[in-house]
Amino acid sequence: MTKACRYGTHRVISPKGTLPQPAQKLDNTMTIFDNEVLIDVTTLNIDSASYTQIKKACNSDAGKMEEMILSIVEERGKMQNPVTGSGGMLIGTVREIGPNFPKNKLKIGDRIATLVSLSLTPLKIKSIKKLTPLSDQVDVDAQAILFESGLFAILPDDIPEKLALAALDVAGAPAQVDRLVTEGDIVCIIGGGGKSGILCCYQAMQNAGPSGKVIVVEYSKENAQRIVDMNLATDVIVADATNVMDVYGKVMAITGGRGCDVTVNNVNVPSTEMTSILITKGQGCVYFFSMATSFTKAALGAEGVGKDINLIVGNGYAKGHANLTLNIIRESKPIRELFEKLYV
Amino acid sequence: MKKGNKYGIHRVIEPKGVLPQPANKIDNNMDEIYDNEILIDVQTLNIDSASFTQIEEQAKGDKAKIAEIMLGIVAKQGKHRNPVTGSGGMLLGTVEKIGDAIIGKTDLKVGDKIATLVSLSLTPLRIDKIKDIRSDIDQVDIDGKAILFESGIYAKIPDDMPANLALSALDVAGAPAQTAKLVKPGDTVLIIGAGGKSGMLCCYEAKKRAGVTGKVIGLCHSEKSTQRMRDLGFCDYVFAADATQPVPILEKIEELTNGKMCDVTINNVNITDTEMTSILCTKDTGIVYFFSMATSFTKAALGAEGVGSDVTMIVGNGYTKGHAEITLQLLRESEKLRKVFTELYA
Repeated sequence: MTKACRYGTHRVISPKGTLPQPAQKLDNTMTIFDNEVLIDVTTLNIDSASYTQIKKACNSDAGKMEEMILSIVEERGKMQNPVTGSGGMLIGTVREIGPNFPKNKLKIGDRIATLVSLSLTPLKIKSIKKLTPLSDQVDVDAQAILFESGLFAILPDDIPEKLALAALDVAGAPAQVDRLVTEGDIVCIIGGGGKSGILCCYQAMQNAGPSGKVIVVEYSKENAQRIVDMNLATDVIVADATNVMDVYGKVMAITGGRGCDVTVNNVNVPSTEMTSILITKGQGCVYFFSMATSFTKAALGAEGVGKDINLIVGNGYAKGHANLTLNIIRESKPIRELFEKLYV
Repeated sequence: MKKGNKYGIHRVIEPKGVLPQPANKIDNNMDEIYDNEILIDVQTLNIDSASFTQIEEQAKGDKAKIAEIMLGIVAKQGKHRNPVTGSGGMLLGTVEKIGDAIIGKTDLKVGDKIATLVSLSLTPLRIDKIKDIRSDIDQVDIDGKAILFESGIYAKIPDDMPANLALSALDVAGAPAQTAKLVKPGDTVLIIGAGGKSGMLCCYEAKKRAGVTGKVIGLCHSEKSTQRMRDLGFCDYVFAADATQPVPILEKIEELTNGKMCDVTINNVNITDTEMTSILCTKDTGIVYFFSMATSFTKAALGAEGVGSDVTMIVGNGYTKGHAEITLQLLRESEKLRKVFTELYA
């Protein structure tokens, strides 16, 4: 075994000097370096943007989709969609652990989900066992490599694997809410009705407590009603988050003109930065989880209105995030039932 | 006087419902002001450097053509937002009139000399005449008027330094002020793009806050700026490297910090693909502050997750309370900074 880099740069074939994620091609030889883990893969959870693109390109023909996935992995050594740039996650069993992989974290035979993107994970597919255009979970016979810096979660016995996978996919969001929100805070969750939004609402309600407020801004009436029914917020606003003055007026009415201590943006549409900034109090904080966030719109927007607030780039990883998220599934029966219905 | 909105929405002509910055056209009629506005008699425009470079290129360096392009932008939009770069700049002028509703609420009085610290991309502006174009420092002297909204931020120009020197420092006032808030005694701090205008201010402030037990590392690009930073002596260590190449820089920082990495990394460099370098050089309990407008949100977000780093990443906010005072104070404190700023930018 050869001594290797913590971040997996030893697997980068081209271009040299880059990290595995931006690389064009990775070495997917399934012999491990001294700090790697070999995984027997059973299911790939392809990122939804990537899966939608593949489905469109193949006119929903399962055979063609299989061919396309195999050719991407053949060419790049990883499942990174060349159009969307995104990856996904995987489920598998630990087959072999390098002697320099951090001790006592994993043992051979553990069932794990990797929490780093497939866009940087060396992968070799022997065959695709089951692919249906409707589900972005693809069953495969494959092997993958986890780097020393790679994140994973050991799958629990008390939650079905596919439910766990669906929740772990957005594990960063509720974990960051747990850090940001303290008792008595006024919190606004923009895009509160989606998968990560629901988990954020639950955690925000726990942390803000009876003296705090959790306000949800949601576009879809149906999703908004669900938040009301599940009692996941103190106030629900149905509105288009890109309409700054409408949302601003409604949030100010609820907060008596004070604005929010913490605003969490989960909505995957562009141009919601100003809305997030204006509804947040001076010295407050906006957490952008949305991948549609524009850095310059956020930076110049806050300066333009003279707001001294912290604007934070959503980090999908926070220590302990997998456990916290799985615990929400354990604690909240309504969320568990909803996720089982929608995502499994 | 008519009642105005705090953020200036009353001046937006189209599209309706947006704020003045994203608006395509705003009302720049200065004959009458709203009750919460301040009318400024403008002396100098400090055009954002990306914007000025674009206009200069389009005009092939011809000053008459530059003037024509600038007048065209303001005639069309009612503000000086470059249609290609989207950016604005700042202005220097004298307070001419103050709206009834904010008399007593603002510390300004008629006759005060101020610099606006909100972007020209959202400031109603009328240009009557372009008097002088100083291409080397992106400044244009004009006869004209502008409006400052109630939410607009500004700084009074001090008596003890030339207005142009103050203006050049205020242009990047957010960076050293945020540095002052972030850096604590004993911290190891990396400044990427240390040799530029905001970089130099950040290095000075970082060393002041980190103290003798802390360490400030400056990463520069050109040999010239590296030498200048070494001569200034603000950093404990200065080196030159290409910030888009994470691996060699990571190794260098590991060596300089005995593998502990940095508590705070401040990214000031206006080129793309420096997100991973910033993340990897920072402790996973540390903070990366992105001031660079070339930062990609997705590269930062997915990059940190990809390497399993629990780092806090902050979008640089050009405004923080007291930022103008903090920045001007640096030029008073440091003879070296004042000298280099006067030479390069004033």
